[in-house]
Amino acid sequence: MAASAADVRSILAIPEPPVAGSSQPTKKPQGSERAKKPDGIPRELYALIGPHAPTLAAQFTKPRLKQKPNLGAGGRVKWEWRPFKNGARSDGLRLSHWAKAGTDTESEYQFAKYNVQGTPYVYTQDEYTRLLEDSSWTKEETDYLFNLVREYDGRFFVVHDRYEYPNGPRRSLEDLKERYFGVCRKLIRNRPWIGDEAGKKAVLDSLTFDKDREVARKNYVASLEHRTPEQIAEEDALYLELEKLKENERRFKKDRDELLRTLCGIESGLPDIHADEDGLAGAAFETKRKKKGVVGSVEPQTPVTPSANTVISLPQPQPKKTSAKSAAYDALHCIVRTEVDQTSSSTKAAHVPVHLRSYKVAQPKAALAPRVSQLLGELGISHTRLVMPTRDNLAKFAALIDAAQQLVEIKKAVDKHDQDIQTTKARLAALRGETVEEGDAPETPMDVDDGAADADGEGDGRAQSVMSTRSARSRRQGRRSMSVSSVDTAGGPNKRQKQR
Amino acid sequence: MASNDRVRVRGVTIHRPVIYGNTAVVLTPKEREALPSPDHTHRWTVAVRSAASAPDSDIVGGADDLSYFIKRVTFKLHDTYTNPNRNVDKPPFEVSETGWGEFEITIRINFVAESGEKAVTFYHHLKLHPWTAAGSGEPEIPSIEAAAKAGPVHSWQYDEIVFSDPYQVFLNILTAHPPTPLPKHRRRPVPFHTANPASLEASKGGTPEFTQEMEKEEADRLEKALKTIVEDTHKWRNKLIEKENESNRLKKELEAALQS
Repeated sequence: MAASAADVRSILAIPEPPVAGSSQPTKKPQGSERAKKPDGIPRELYALIGPHAPTLAAQFTKPRLKQKPNLGAGGRVKWEWRPFKNGARSDGLRLSHWAKAGTDTESEYQFAKYNVQGTPYVYTQDEYTRLLEDSSWTKEETDYLFNLVREYDGRFFVVHDRYEYPNGPRRSLEDLKERYFGVCRKLIRNRPWIGDEAGKKAVLDSLTFDKDREVARKNYVASLEHRTPEQIAEEDALYLELEKLKENERRFKKDRDELLRTLCGIESGLPDIHADEDGLAGAAFETKRKKKGVVGSVEPQTPVTPSANTVISLPQPQPKKTSAKSAAYDALHCIVRTEVDQTSSSTKAAHVPVHLRSYKVAQPKAALAPRVSQLLGELGISHTRLVMPTRDNLAKFAALIDAAQQLVEIKKAVDKHDQDIQTTKARLAALRGETVEEGDAPETPMDVDDGAADADGEGDGRAQSVMSTRSARSRRQGRRSMSVSSVDTAGGPNKRQKQR
Repeated sequence: MASNDRVRVRGVTIHRPVIYGNTAVVLTPKEREALPSPDHTHRWTVAVRSAASAPDSDIVGGADDLSYFIKRVTFKLHDTYTNPNRNVDKPPFEVSETGWGEFEITIRINFVAESGEKAVTFYHHLKLHPWTAAGSGEPEIPSIEAAAKAGPVHSWQYDEIVFSDPYQVFLNILTAHPPTPLPKHRRRPVPFHTANPASLEASKGGTPEFTQEMEKEEADRLEKALKTIVEDTHKWRNKLIEKENESNRLKKELEAALQS
């Protein structure tokens, strides 16, 4: 028999019979040894150290990881393809997405809230001429800039890239930003603001742009980027040199302190030396003080001296702290403190005489007074008097009057432009009629136009006169506004006393 | 010290809350007969007082004695009264009279000599007839019987007397007399004011009292109005910009048409 049964079995890949043949006496123990190889030991390591693994290895056998959290609590999540509505879209386009099956179908698209629109700033012609004039910018170009910023959602790199104002000067990114933020800041400052001053300041701060600083910053970055390899190498070398020097300095100082400690002991004045007794410490302190003149010449830096601190803190003027206590005191006594302008010479003419708070109530401009009072009347606010004319309320009232005036002015401007549009339209129609009819009857529309313009003019005049009389009356009332009920009853049956 | 006293304390503004106005009651027929002029229908009291009301007092305001800074209050009544200029040199600073008609009273306050300040003058419209809601259809002057039933009429204005950069000596006087603060919350009816017609209902039913709540309420009203106006302004501004653009466009069109 050339081949044993075992050979045949091995060739045919038949498992070993339960009783091992004598032909493979070594194989079996090997297999059992390998089976004994503990988990956690790499095969190569095990091959090296063999079965005589140190007992320590047993500790590493099982990696002590936390059990994997059971996500989803078993069972598969069902997803379905369904259309959704995106509240941030204005075009109503319906898209679909995968969503979990159980969730609410009609719920708002969860990412819609991230579509935050920046506040678009716009300005009227009047605001432009009053506040925003700039010699290097025309209104048209400013409009163009604002449109671009709006279009590209305030991404100034894109805005700058697309910026092509015909016949305009070349603008850098900083120019654009400076103009844009400058205009926004001016608008916010000059428009009525709802809410407190802090909020206004926060918004203003968010719109701050310092062009010079930004340009300088960019120059620095550019110069940093454009260094030659030699320069970089030199810089590195210098840096190393500096570090070395510093290290030397430190070592020198340490050595010197060490030496001083050994030589002078507590008299060296170094901080971390403890005296044996308290009394001695006091005395040592005294001697230290005395010796300071001597030691000081050696020591460039005296360790426990408060003088350095005082020198630093002295020049800072102590800001007037309004502690809670003094604020309460002021509130109790109705005191308001303001910063005194030291430069202004205290002349008697500057003295504000005693007055009733309500004397200072804000008054609208005479020309706008009737419309302002009407506007406030609609909102349930008297335009001349306050129930409680306190400081805060007067300030609020002034802000209100200011805002009302602005609104009235804007409304007036809208009316004016409406008229302009009407007349221009009429003239255009007339012109077109003329061109169509070849000058047959151009007079009539023009006449009508003129007539309308005249009528408008008259209307204006009349309105003006009415307004002026009304405002005169309101002024007179304003003067008497200190009495409680004069406004209400002035027009009413105001009986005069007649006594016999 | 004397020279020090005449030094102004710069940067300090100090005020004292006061109220001025009048209370009026309808006379009973019996009382009218007793009067020298029987056509008088009302008894009224015009006064200048501290703003806070004393507890358990049936008058409006007057918790503090103001004579520490007020030397004299002059009430100028209608000329038909005998001796129309009434000077009151000590508290209470008030004048009581009878009459039948409403008129304007000129009130002048002179301050103590230490203040170094001139007098202030203001006006009060004497109010005899009960407050009515404007446009409610009620007669503006209710009948005497109705008025008698409604009880006393109150017409008071809150104000603050403001001293800027007071003399040290005067400041000392003022700080020695801190005013009673107004109560935080409403305990009695609200004093009616024409600037707040909505307070008419709350003003009924007894002697009114000024409170801090009133200031807050007015601040809220002002803020609300401001908010509305700012929102409106925003709307109108956008409208205006549209109009401007349209107007400019039309004008350009017109120019083009004129040139062609």
